[in-house]
Formats: sequence, structure tokens, C-alpha cells
Amino acid sequence: MLDVAVLLSIGRHPVSGRARRAATDAQALEMALALRPRRLTAIHAGPPTDGEALRAYLGMGLERLTHLVLSEGADPVEPLIAHLRQFDPSLVLTGRQAEDGEGSGMLPYLIARGLDAAVVPDVVRIGPADAPNSIPGAADLVQALPRGQRRALTATGRFVATIHPSAPPARASAYGPARRGVIEPVAAQATADLFLSDCEHRPWRPKPKLMRVKRGGSALDRLKAATESKSGKGQLLVNPTAEAGALAIYDSLVEQGMLP
Amino acid sequence: MTQPSPVRRRVDPRAERAARTILTGQRPRLLPQPVAVAVNGRRRDPRALRAAALVQIQPRPRYDWARDAASAGATAAVGIGVAATPAIPLQVIAEPAYLILAMLDRPGGEVSEHDRQVIAAARLLADAGGGAVVTVSTGSGDALAEAGSDRHVALPDGWADDYVPERRAAAASALMAALSPRHILFPDSPDGGDVARRVAAAAGERLFAGVQSLGPDRATRQSAGGSLEAGHRPTRLMTVAVDAFPPLDGVRHEARPLDLAAPVMAGEELPPRLGGARRLAVDPDALSLSETDFILSAGNGVTDWQSFAELGEALGATRAGSRVVCDAGHLPRERQVGASGMVVSARCYLAFGIAGAPQHLQGITGVRHVIAVNTDLHAEMIKRADLSIVADAQAVMPALIRLIRERRHA
Ligand SMILES: Cc1cc2nc3c(=O)[nH]c(=O)nc-3n(C[C@H](O)[C@H](O)[C@H](O)COP(=O)(O)OP(=O)(O)OC[C@H]3O[C@@H](n4cnc5c(N)ncnc54)[C@H](O)[C@@H]3O)c2cc1C
Ligand SMILES: Nc1ncnc2c1ncn2[C@@H]1O[C@H](COP(=O)(O)O)[C@@H](O)[C@H]1O
Repeated sequence: MLDVAVLLSIGRHPVSGRARRAATDAQALEMALALRPRRLTAIHAGPPTDGEALRAYLGMGLERLTHLVLSEGADPVEPLIAHLRQFDPSLVLTGRQAEDGEGSGMLPYLIARGLDAAVVPDVVRIGPADAPNSIPGAADLVQALPRGQRRALTATGRFVATIHPSAPPARASAYGPARRGVIEPVAAQATADLFLSDCEHRPWRPKPKLMRVKRGGSALDRLKAATESKSGKGQLLVNPTAEAGALAIYDSLVEQGMLP
Repeated sequence: MTQPSPVRRRVDPRAERAARTILTGQRPRLLPQPVAVAVNGRRRDPRALRAAALVQIQPRPRYDWARDAASAGATAAVGIGVAATPAIPLQVIAEPAYLILAMLDRPGGEVSEHDRQVIAAARLLADAGGGAVVTVSTGSGDALAEAGSDRHVALPDGWADDYVPERRAAAASALMAALSPRHILFPDSPDGGDVARRVAAAAGERLFAGVQSLGPDRATRQSAGGSLEAGHRPTRLMTVAVDAFPPLDGVRHEARPLDLAAPVMAGEELPPRLGGARRLAVDPDALSLSETDFILSAGNGVTDWQSFAELGEALGATRAGSRVVCDAGHLPRERQVGASGMVVSARCYLAFGIAGAPQHLQGITGVRHVIAVNTDLHAEMIKRADLSIVADAQAVMPALIRLIRERRHA
């Protein structure tokens, strides 16, 4: 029923540095395949050397993939928008943050501005959550929030969704389909990304972890605050009846906002 | 006030005793009061000398050894007097040279740790050239004065509860146009980072996302999946990575409401394309222990596993246990809390029959509120807990289930 486009970037293994499929982009492709759209367009924009790593996406059951061939260091946003305009998809799925390059997570927002679409971040499910009374023309989505919470919302019109890592996991990539799939190269024009070449890059060195130490007080106080979990100055009930104990727990939980 | 002399007399116990002895009657008797005896003038009292040289106690002791002992008492008293009232001076920036905007999340109305870190980062930029930090959030600015906010713009109260990111982004863009701040900082949290990217896309500006270090002429961030550090002049729009800057401590700023010429909250013009947001109920036992907010935990003192399971369901809490419980197979291994299990950061931890071995307590250092039920008054868990109940877990669990069901139906 839908026209879906997926944007796929090249990932980088965090330890070996080898090119691979990017984790959340593969999850985006998985979600796109699960939606069984009328037409599925998978697009990658990048230098011609990216071809081999893209085959990992084809191995997930994708038949063809468009590769917008750019020169090294070019900005992929403009060619991607121009290409997506031809297809006019009603839904664009992307990963959350690229694993290589700048990785600022800006691309979905820039694409959405170019296509005049809404952006929904951190999507884990597309389709009705639990309520059947959906508005026509609107899509039901489920978003992941911190601490494992979920939020349902609706988006009207065309939208770009970025996929959260806790979305359904991507299927494994099979070798045969990866070889059989077709990568269609399309030449594209793009301007160089001047901001990125203006940045100085150097290897990342891990920083010392920020500790929340209490300032002031004596050295002993600070040592205690840094090493002890908590000094027990709590409330103590010794041998209450079961009911009194339960009531104390109940009141404390209500006070903490854990029970209504 | 009599000041102890820096020269102490030498105590000679034999001479003292001899002076107090009265030899009348059959046996010698001792006078109760000591009598003054000869003094050895050469003996120094290092403690008194040190006390006399003490100039200040807070924030750390300082001594002035060159001073004469006579004037010591007066100055030392002043030093102690100042230390007794540690008032933090109010810092006022009346005529700011430029403005730094800090757009805060304030999830659930509370100023989060990440919000404080964003204000600390904004202060780095503001203090370099006499600028002022303007915080923008729902709610009043009073809580932000101690975090380092000079001016505060309050967003409408109704915005705290509903999720309309487009409206927040529109408000930020409007403030950007009205105040023309030099920099705008956002927390790089799911919500704050989302709004920041919307603002950057709308303004057509570059976002420097996830800033790790910041100075007036250089900001750095992690790029290429965390393998490179990219450095650049601070751009106008930046998001601040979590735990990159220590929150400020011991400062007090004005956090005075900023008077705006015109109301900038013009976010209502275009209808938001995202709507109908509501929280979904999640199955607490499907959450991983590191994610969940409320944990019900069992130790070796629990034998009634039926009640334990029912209680978890009634409370809507994620079930967990100590190592003994997981070893015995009552709970799966990934539900073990502690040094060799999961380190949890839940807001509330309800422990039944757990002794509180160091290996277990290590797993719950990040927990804010601990409730413990144990039959042993001297258990370590009872000392750690904010509410401790010395009672039988097998009796309290069913009572708590009954109480929750009663209150729910009432
Ligand atoms: C290398 C190493 C790693 C370890 N890692 C972990 C770890 O990750 N996590 C972990 O939990 N442990 C760990 N342990 C084990 C740890 O040292 C303790 O043995 C364990 O935590 C004790 O579990 P417990 O408190 O449930 O049991 P116990 O020590 O047996 O304590 C039971 C408690 O229940 C109370 N009780 C008894 N009956 C009742 C009743 N009817 N009602 C209420 N209270 C009652 C008792 O007073 C007692 O305080 C580790 C140990 C080692 C050596
Ligand atoms: N060159 C590219 N070609 C196709 N998709 C991309 C490209 N770069 C980024 N994306 C998509 O945009 C998301 C966010 O990228 P970024 O803004 O670079 O962090 C990624 O997860 C991809 O889905």
C-alpha cells in the first residue's frame, strides 16, 4: 500500500574498522521489508568504492539498490533529495546516526525539509499499536523512550522515520542473494562538504569518566561520598505487623511515584 | 578571653604530690587541690602554637607563623566567624556582552543532571567574555539559579506534559530570531537532540552534535562512530553530550525572568504533523534490568515464590534477585543484580530477604530509593535502605498484595 524509501549508509565495525552494514540502517531495511510496501526504493549515496559493503544489505532479501555515485568528501544531502523527489515516497526510513563520517544524525532532518515531510525520531514500530480507531491518512507509530518506555503517536502526511536500536533486529545477510542482487549506479552531482573539511580530525582518546564528587567538607566526607553507596539514615520499623509493614511500603512507593 | 600561653609549664608529678602532702596524724594525707609548683619555662606547647598561628579554617587551614602570639586570638576568631556563614555570593551580569541560550529538557518538571551539565557548558562560553546564560524551559527559573542561569525564559506550563517537538523547535527558532544569541546549546538527549536538529534544519545551519569539550574558540565532538575527534570553532547550534561537563557547584546566579519585547511563542501557527502522543503500558518483565525504573528483588529469605510473582505483577515492577536465588534457578541468570550480574540504576528497589553482601550492594549503588524487608535487624541491606522493615517476607508480601488490590478497587 505504501511507497517506501530506505536510506542506507556504510557502517564501520567499532573495533576492526572494517566496512559493514550499519546496524540501525539494517534495522530500517528490516522494517521496510516487513511492511511489504508496493514499491521499495533503497538508496545509498557515496563514493564508488562503497559497492562491496552494500552487498550485505542485498543479502537481506533486497533485489536492487540504487547507488548515487559521488566523489569523495561530497555532501550526500542534495543528490538524495533530488533522487527521492522522483519517487515521491510516502515514507522514508533511515538509521539514527551514521557509523562513519560526520554521524551527526542531521541527514534525516535535512531530507525531511527538502521533501516537506514530518520527522519522527526513534521509531520501533510502524502500524497500529493497540488502538484500532486510527484516523485515515495518518500512520500509527511507536517510539522508544529512555528507560525502555514506549510512546504511541500518529503522523499525518509524508514522513521520515529514524529507527531506534531497540526496533526488531535485522535478519542475517545471506551470501547467495548478496551476490545475485543488483546495484544500480547513478551518477550524481554534489558540492563538497566545506564544513567537514574545515574540521581538524585526530584519533579519539577516551576521556576520564566524569565523577559526581561532592565538593567542600573534609577529606573524609568527600572520600565517603565517593566510595560509600549511601549512609543508611532511613526509616526503620522493627517487628511491625504484616499489615503495618505493607502499609509503610505502600505509602513509600506512592511517595516515590511508583504507584498511582 | 584567656589565651593559653604558648609556653606550658612542665609537669613534675612527684613534686606536685609532695606539695599536696600534709604530714599530720598517723598517715600522710593529700590535699584535694593541686598547689602551684615550680615551672620549667623552656617547654614549648606545639598545639597552642599552632592554634595561635591559625588564620583561617575554611576552605582549608592556613597558618601564619610569623605573627606574634599576642594578636593571635582576635584574628583567629574572625577566621572562624567567616567560616561559619558559607554564603555563596550572588553573581549578577547586569549588562551582558552577548547571550548564550541553553534549551533544557526538564523531563517531568525536574532539572535533570544533563540539564545542569548543559548550563555548565553554556557558562564556559559566557564567562569567557562577559556574556549571560539564558535558560529556556517549562516551569520557573528558581531551581536554575544554583545551576548557573542568569536569565530564564519560561515556556507555557502546558508544554511539559504533551509531546509536540515541532512546537518546541518553533519556539527555539523564534527565540533565536528575537534574542540573536551567540550560541544555542541543547542537551544531546533523545528529546533535546531531536529539537536541536529540527531547529538546525529549519535555520539551515550546521549543528555540532554531541560536544565533548568546549572553549571560546574550540569545540570537539566524536565522529566516525567514535573513532575520531573532530575539532572546530564553536558553531551557533550545538548539542552537549551527556557526562562531558561537570555540573556547577557552589555558585549562585540570578535566574531572573527575561523580559521579552514580544511574546515569542508563535508555535501554534502551523498545525503539528505529529499528534495523539500517549504512553504505552510496557510489560515490566520484558525490560532489561539496566533499563527499568522499579525493581522487586528477592534473596535467600524468600520461599513463597507464588506470592513474589503475584506481587511483581501487582506492583508493575521488574523482578530480580540475588545470586543465591539465581543459582538456585528461581529466576533466570540475566535477572541477577550485583557485581557478577547487572548493575542497575532504577529509581526504586524493593528487596525482600536480601542480606546485602558487598557484591550485591555494588549492583545497586545507583539506586535512589531502597526499601528492604529482612528478619535480621543487623543485615547490611537494612543499613543501606531508606525504609527498612524488620519482618518476615512471607508475611509482608501477601499483606502488600492484599493492600494494593484493596486500594485499586476502592
Ligand atoms: C565473586 C563473587 C561474586 C558475587 N556476585 C554476586 C552478585 O553479582 N550478586 C549477588 O547478589 N551476589 C553475589 N555474590 C554472592 C554474595 O556474596 C552473597 O552470597 C549473596 O548476595 C547473598 O544472597 P542473599 O542475600 O539472597 O542470601 P543470604 O546471604 O542467605 O541472606 C538471606 C537474608 O534473608 C534474611 N531472611 C531469612 N529469612 C527471612 C524471612 N522469612 N523474611 C525476611 N528475611 C529473611 C536473612 O536474615 C538474610 O539476611 C557473589 C559472590 C562472589 C564470591
Ligand atoms: N551517504 C548516505 N547515503 C544514504 N543514506 C545515508 C547516508 N548518510 C547517512 N544516511 C542515512 O542517514 C542516517 C543518519 O546519518 P547522519 O546524519 O550522517 O548521522 C543514517 O543512519 C543513514 O540511514
